[in-house]
Amino acid sequence: MARSGASIRNQIRTLRSRHGEMTQQQLADHVGVARQTVNAIEGGKYSPSLEVAFRIAHVFGEPLEEVFQFITAAG
Amino acid sequence: MDTSFEEKSVWIQLVGLVVGLGGYLIVAGLMLSKGVGALPTFVPVFAVAIILVVAINIAGHVVAAIVSRTDEADERDRLIGCRADGRSSWILGVGVIGAIMALILSVDGVWVAHLLLLSLFGSEVAKDVLQIVYYRRGI
Repeated sequence: MARSGASIRNQIRTLRSRHGEMTQQQLADHVGVARQTVNAIEGGKYSPSLEVAFRIAHVFGEPLEEVFQFITAAG
Repeated sequence: MDTSFEEKSVWIQLVGLVVGLGGYLIVAGLMLSKGVGALPTFVPVFAVAIILVVAINIAGHVVAAIVSRTDEADERDRLIGCRADGRSSWILGVGVIGAIMALILSVDGVWVAHLLLLSLFGSEVAKDVLQIVYYRRGI
């Protein structure tokens, strides 16, 4: 979801790998959303609410900024 | 195609609408063009169309529930629904204003009723199509 040349990137795929190849369905079940929503977040097609973003970070035991990064056009 | 239960539900509603209500509007259009003007004449055709819409929705949702997980709507589904609704409801609004204008101009009730139905159909189809676009392209 790019607005004003900015976008939100995430490390969910990498973090799932680090956590014993956690599946999207397992992450979705932990967070309380549909697997397709996790897939959309991971693919940058949907920016989650702050609550869901925190829940994802909590599942991985990482601070929010390790999971999601706000990238501006300037880099 | 990787679709959630909610997206499947939108597809089912779209098919139901297009087949049922779309079919009715085609038949009603042909009847109106042949000069049928009595509103009660349309009632049996409309009843069949509504039964068709309900039957397609029930059958479609039963099949969808059998072949996939029935996850509850989550925040993405709700956002997609709200955004699609907000960008399609103007069609119904235009139809309502048009119907009021038609009443002021003393247009036959049968035309006013079908103008309202057409705008409802257009609004719902646009909403479903927008939802599918948002599911596929991202939001």
